[in-house]
Amino acid sequence: MDLKNHIPSGPIEQKWDKHRVELKLVNPANKRKFSVIVVGTGLAGSSAAASLAELGYNVQAFTYHDSARRAHSIAAQGGINAAKNYQNDGDSVWRLFYDTVKGGDFRAREANVHRLAQVSVNIIDQCVAQGVPFAREYGGYLSNRSFGGAQVSRTFYARGQTGQQLLLGAYQALMRQVGLGKVKLHNKQEMLDLLVVDGRARGIVTRNMVTGKVETHMADAVILATGGYGNVFYLSTNAKACNVTATYRAHKRGALFANPCYTQIHPTCIPQSGDYQSKLTLMSESLRNDGRIWVPKNQGDKRSPDQIPESDRDYYLERKYPSFGNLSPRDIASRAAKEACDDGRGVGPGGLGVYLDFSDAIKRLGEKVIADRYGNLFEMYERITGETPYQVPMRIYPAVHYTMGGLWVDYNLMSNVPGLFVLGEANFSDHGANRLGASALMQGLADGYFVIPYTIGGYFAQGGFSPVLQDSPIVQATVREAEEKIQKLLSINGKRSPTSFHRELGKIMWDKCGMARNEKGLTEALTRIPELREEFWQNVVIPGSGDQLNQSLELGLRVADFLEFAELMCYDALHRNESCGGHFREEYQTEDGEAKRNDQDFAYVGAWEYTGVGSKPTLRKENLEFENVQLATRSYK
Amino acid sequence: MNLRLHIWRQSGPQDAGMLKTYDVANVSEHMSFLEMLDVLNEDLIAKGEVPVAFDHDCREGICGTCGMVINGRPHGPLARTTACQLHMRTFKDGDEIYIEPWRARAFPVIRDLVVDRGSFDRIIQKGGFVSVNTGNAQDGNTLPIPKTDADRAMDAAACIGCGACVAACPNASAMLFTAAKIGHLGSVPQGQAERSTRAMNMVLQMDAEGFGACTNHYECEAACPKGISADFIAQMNKDYVASVFAGRD
Amino acid sequence: MRAFGEIWESNVFQKWLMAISGLLLVGFLLGHLSGNLLVFMGPDAINEYAHGLRTMLHGTAIWIVRFGLLGTFVLHITSAMKLSRRNREARPSRYNTVEHRASTLASRSMLYSGLLLLTYAVYHLAHFTWGVVHSEFYPKASPTGPESNGAEYIPDVYSMVVSSFQVHAISVAYVLAMIMVGLHLNHAIASAFQTLGVRNQRFVPVIRMVGPLLGILVAAGFSSVPLAILAGIVK
Repeated sequence: MDLKNHIPSGPIEQKWDKHRVELKLVNPANKRKFSVIVVGTGLAGSSAAASLAELGYNVQAFTYHDSARRAHSIAAQGGINAAKNYQNDGDSVWRLFYDTVKGGDFRAREANVHRLAQVSVNIIDQCVAQGVPFAREYGGYLSNRSFGGAQVSRTFYARGQTGQQLLLGAYQALMRQVGLGKVKLHNKQEMLDLLVVDGRARGIVTRNMVTGKVETHMADAVILATGGYGNVFYLSTNAKACNVTATYRAHKRGALFANPCYTQIHPTCIPQSGDYQSKLTLMSESLRNDGRIWVPKNQGDKRSPDQIPESDRDYYLERKYPSFGNLSPRDIASRAAKEACDDGRGVGPGGLGVYLDFSDAIKRLGEKVIADRYGNLFEMYERITGETPYQVPMRIYPAVHYTMGGLWVDYNLMSNVPGLFVLGEANFSDHGANRLGASALMQGLADGYFVIPYTIGGYFAQGGFSPVLQDSPIVQATVREAEEKIQKLLSINGKRSPTSFHRELGKIMWDKCGMARNEKGLTEALTRIPELREEFWQNVVIPGSGDQLNQSLELGLRVADFLEFAELMCYDALHRNESCGGHFREEYQTEDGEAKRNDQDFAYVGAWEYTGVGSKPTLRKENLEFENVQLATRSYK
Repeated sequence: MNLRLHIWRQSGPQDAGMLKTYDVANVSEHMSFLEMLDVLNEDLIAKGEVPVAFDHDCREGICGTCGMVINGRPHGPLARTTACQLHMRTFKDGDEIYIEPWRARAFPVIRDLVVDRGSFDRIIQKGGFVSVNTGNAQDGNTLPIPKTDADRAMDAAACIGCGACVAACPNASAMLFTAAKIGHLGSVPQGQAERSTRAMNMVLQMDAEGFGACTNHYECEAACPKGISADFIAQMNKDYVASVFAGRD
Repeated sequence: MRAFGEIWESNVFQKWLMAISGLLLVGFLLGHLSGNLLVFMGPDAINEYAHGLRTMLHGTAIWIVRFGLLGTFVLHITSAMKLSRRNREARPSRYNTVEHRASTLASRSMLYSGLLLLTYAVYHLAHFTWGVVHSEFYPKASPTGPESNGAEYIPDVYSMVVSSFQVHAISVAYVLAMIMVGLHLNHAIASAFQTLGVRNQRFVPVIRMVGPLLGILVAAGFSSVPLAILAGIVK
């Protein structure tokens, strides 16, 4: 299989403009003749569905939530980057592009990233026009804050609820189209499979979660905006329902899965408190603007933090990375925390935590200013831990947060299956091996508002869409497969709940394919995952029936896919014999413990082709060419 | 700690439903309320019973999915805290806890504690937006917005659409929810063009969905996990009546 | 454009009608109170006042006011009935447990205090206006014929009030009703302003204070009359 990325020729600044001119258009009157299915209503899905409907396409949107507004984009706290240079501090499209490529540890496609930086400015404008209440200065102009991995202030924010406000903006745009009858919205419908007819994505199979009915929906193109797969680790900052099913099903139908091993571990999460823990809570990275991260200098120092004098504290990020300090990128900050804890200097229960201390900032700025900036985050921390960060330093620990990998897409955001487009976190395209803070919101909205509306037209303009009948054999076979899987799950009637399998899988993945990986661990995981999967299909129990709301069944179906997908991740992590961004292989590090990239052999996108359950997938490579950014060791020192 | 739970069980929209009693042992004070229910559900599954269905997702108090009335209060006893952020340290050993779904005609029960809040979406569809197509926008800094207005807009926009206001209101009124959106968009210049029709259409949809009317008890703002003020209801009332007299709809 | 009927029937418009009519009724109560307090200035003051009301604008003023009041009451009551019916229907299944956080006894009992007041108002009119109950205290009809001497006849409202309130049961019922008025106003006034959209944070706290205060004042003011009569201060 030949991976054509369709990157336009020409200088990088002109690629997108040129491409937009070259893309074929669909006549306004003809747009309503084309139908699109959008799965997922987060930032990418909602913005795409709304924008496509505005253009006149016939759109159907799907979400497994009871409302489109609940997608996990809503939980993003810190902000959204845009190269507006409102602060006059030297920002530019080029700098955002450069920062993102470098932040991604030189494993992203230059052309995609440049386009992202270009449209970032339009996103802010669009959101302001929707009434998104971004933070403002007294003069009424937009306010910015700085964020990890950048030396300029380019992050726009709405208190600690930026994701919520941006999502509500997109959701409202979507609701407007639903109200106008331009989008048919299907709530509480979970995608179970992709319908590929004559080599093209032509629809999806869903389960109505309220009635249990397995349904088919046809269209001329399918957009997956179904988020990431961080929940393969069971404990992550992802919402509980986040899952890999939609993208993994598409993978099983032929779509290549790219770079699944690139997982981002966020440095500032609230440490785990017990076995019952159901998820981890993220504290916005923006806290690192004013908080200082430290651990005791000496192992086993059990004194309470206020009893530890300055001389016995190790502000390790400031020490190791003086120019970026506490604002070092996420992968670096996370690994540094793990190192400190592995070194026996962690704090809190189990020694799995480091301090994030605001006492200096409170002294310098006063409690009121700090409360203005982080009040809601401090409240949240206090509710969860029972401690107030105004008096006691926060305890934080890294947790799985975002997955850079995803379905492989070309420059048009179309996968190798024609007609299957993938947006937002679900695709692999823009963040390389590591995503910078405040860039996920940017990418989701860039894809949905400003990329897909152009590129999907180019696909439709090619024509050749014959109608697909509901009762055609291929459709019926796919539906039957989905129904049989549900029946199978319900009939096993074993002893263990889906959650217990999920938790066990998560533990394997965190230990063997988590923040640091090695060949031995990954090989072990590759034996244990199939065993666990085997047991799952023998011993899982799903109470209740399939013809009504059944949350155990929903979970069972998701866990079943995680149990296959986990293997794919390990294969990818095992094959990538280098350390880069969110993929740290212990065998490949410098003497002082920094990631050691291997550009000679691994400057490519690893896209995997499905070959059957339990069988090793086939690797397809898309070489990454860096014409504008010089490959360099990523240094934040 | 050990707890006795009385949980509303209802197997489907058409069923009658009733409170059933469950004992849970060894609850840690660090658990969240939903984690405590997870533990109960794992127990039930182990015993071959059907677990309690309840809505939840982000478990960090922002998605608005979770919601249940805990001992007579939506989201439980703590102010400005969603059920997922409520931790068991709020309770003590031997407590009896009553857990019920949101109850309102416009929020029919789907199963156990899960209700259908589609009525909220339909209210938003009637005007909870600024009609601006993608690509229409001018530069974000073209219109300065006084900080106080931006802050006020944000106060209202913080609504997570959980429905606690409806659950708490003795009249099952959705006025705080609706007013929050009208108040958000009414506080920024971008929302002015449609201000009048927005108030009119959203308010009438709220009635059509079968929500009750506000009688100014202020239970809604006390129950709101985001602390949205009932001030916005006053503003909505004014906007609505103004639009009645403006006659431009 | 939406039809008038649809707007009229909408909850917020009904609430608005209730608020406006309620505030008018508060105005009426205050006027009524100021008249009642004339009792303390002796028989002539109140009798002339009552007579003045009945003869103002050749006797038409009182009918204008009466019809206005009747209309206001009807609006207030119909909107209250409509809204409370809809509010009840909005929650068909009840909670097992409810813990109130912000509502008050006054706010939760508006319908009941209102209904009791309505009942009392009918009795009150039957007593003091129509003279069909306790008619023994009702002033004699204007004498006609030669014994009238052509002088203007002024009914003795003062005696009616004093002798009526000397009956303990009448006084007690009256005072209880006035406490009910106070309770109703306690919630009603701030509530009306909220419904009318007054939301400036400078004024809202003041308004939320005025409601209960005015409630107490009105209840105390009206009650002072029978209490003074019972205490023998007014004879």
